[in-house]
Amino acid sequence: MLKLIQNEWMKLWSRKVTWIMIVLMVFLVFAVLGITKWMNSTGNEEINESWQDITQTELASISLLLDEPNLSETQIDYYEGKIAIAEHRLENDIAPLEYGSMQQQVLDTHMMMSLVTLLTAIVAAGIVASEFSQGTIKMLLTRPVKRWKILTSKYITVLLFAVLLSVFLLISTAFAGLLFFGIGEGQLLVWNGTEVAEASFWLEALKLATLKFSSIWMISTFAFMLGTVFRSSSLAIGLSIFLMFTGVQAVLLLRNYEIVKYYLFTHTDLTQFYTGNFLVPGITMSMSLLVLAVYFLVFMAISYWTFGKRDVTA
Amino acid sequence: MAEQAIVQIKNLSKTIGNKKIIKNLSLDLHKGEITGFLGPNGAGKTTTIRMMVGLMRPTEGEVWIDGQSVQGDFEGSIRKVGVIVENPEMYKYMSGYKNLLHFSRMHKGVSKERINEVVKQVGMQNRINEKVGSYSLGMRQRLGLAQALLHDPKFLILDEPTNGLDPAGIREFRVYLQKIARENGVAIFVSSHLLSEIELLCDRIAIIQNGELIDIKNVNELQQSRYYIQAEPLELAGEVLAGAGFPAVLHDKGYLIDSGAEHIPGAINLLVGAGARIFAVQPYRETLESQFLEMTGGGEIAQAHTE
Repeated sequence: MLKLIQNEWMKLWSRKVTWIMIVLMVFLVFAVLGITKWMNSTGNEEINESWQDITQTELASISLLLDEPNLSETQIDYYEGKIAIAEHRLENDIAPLEYGSMQQQVLDTHMMMSLVTLLTAIVAAGIVASEFSQGTIKMLLTRPVKRWKILTSKYITVLLFAVLLSVFLLISTAFAGLLFFGIGEGQLLVWNGTEVAEASFWLEALKLATLKFSSIWMISTFAFMLGTVFRSSSLAIGLSIFLMFTGVQAVLLLRNYEIVKYYLFTHTDLTQFYTGNFLVPGITMSMSLLVLAVYFLVFMAISYWTFGKRDVTA
Repeated sequence: MAEQAIVQIKNLSKTIGNKKIIKNLSLDLHKGEITGFLGPNGAGKTTTIRMMVGLMRPTEGEVWIDGQSVQGDFEGSIRKVGVIVENPEMYKYMSGYKNLLHFSRMHKGVSKERINEVVKQVGMQNRINEKVGSYSLGMRQRLGLAQALLHDPKFLILDEPTNGLDPAGIREFRVYLQKIARENGVAIFVSSHLLSEIELLCDRIAIIQNGELIDIKNVNELQQSRYYIQAEPLELAGEVLAGAGFPAVLHDKGYLIDSGAEHIPGAINLLVGAGARIFAVQPYRETLESQFLEMTGGGEIAQAHTE
């Protein structure tokens, strides 16, 4: 299996497209952070409020939110954590991270991770389909290696590529942050359910990136399935990117119906349990994980079944 | 000829939709023997070959390679097979060497030395580090052969292997295949449209039409001694030859007789003695092409076939 993955990895990096993707991604990170810096310096006037004032306002607005009826357990927990952190800051005089700092940018990396999703989906869609379109599939399948092993090696390669891209994204954000903002003042605080604790921004960023990874994982598994079933990478890329952008919008359309709870894109972004931006009220992490697992198994079953049974005439 | 069959195709059938593409095909291939696979377009050659290497699943029947079934124990049987199905498609964006490295990793025990050895055997050592995209068709064929030989297979399946090779390349290729068949005892199964090429290369020829195996011939059988005698008057010559015990068949302006060279002077004497005028006596060799066209009914393309 290791040799098979080695093969896929070699093929992946022998193509110029892959390198272009990486360069493009790093370039975009620098561009986005540069633009942010520029907007900050031209747009906003000096903020005169101290962090204490801002935290006070935040505290008040969250308390208002908490008074709303129909809040789910998850939301209540989340807001209570926020309040605990804010109170802790005021009591102990601990400033939050400056917005324009390298640390805050690294923390926000997860918001740029749809870039990774996009690029990984392209690779996932093409990794099986391209073998068919090049005609190399018949060379690949007439080896003493069962088809499911070949498919598995390709799938693992896609996941490795996604991890690598995420790491690249994190690192290039850190560099770009350092370049444009420098290391800022302040301390990150987190609520662990019982008490407020100081936390490393690296660890937090990693945690958020890991949660965000569920979305990359699902979209690329979906693209992988389409590529395997239709043997056309353009169709698979097109369809999965289309869904990636419209899928989440559809959640908003469906949010008043029961079915939204079983809909894939309600659950793909696990960072919602961490950042409090819930797409649909009343969902829990374990429920999301269960739904994701079911979709994952269905996608995988379809991929393996079609790849294993297909008569190759390419 | 050869004692044990290394490849056995047993009652192979393939139905796609409701059309039976391959009908109950059985064939044995032997060690050290080169078998040609001939048939008009759409007869089912490629489908048969795809089923032999596990790219397609037969509707019925099995293919056995050295005691293992391709359908039952895929890995165990395919490890003994080297394959080129139609054009050898390679990864164009990688060098020839990386392509070979890629395929070698999918077999057990193919060392870097073995790769270099095979590269030398197919005469590619000067261009092996260039991208496959820059290769000519002939070079791709050589690389295709190299990948098929990497793991020292006992059985080689080649679909149109000489397509794109120049005459010198074809000759070299033929000599090489005959050498590995003879010296290493490799069984070789070659499908081709080039009838003359098949005739020179193969020991045996299997002919398929409309999904059915219609004939298997040994090549030396085709080369049995025949003579063409043109003499006048025609009737007289026919009577004389028949009287002398030669079963004479009318052909063109004379007769064809099955006979060894040693009987020909005698036959000529008889004809001259009987007063016939002889215009031509020549060894007659029916080409594979004419036999093939005769057997397959003019080589017309089999009707509607899904490919």
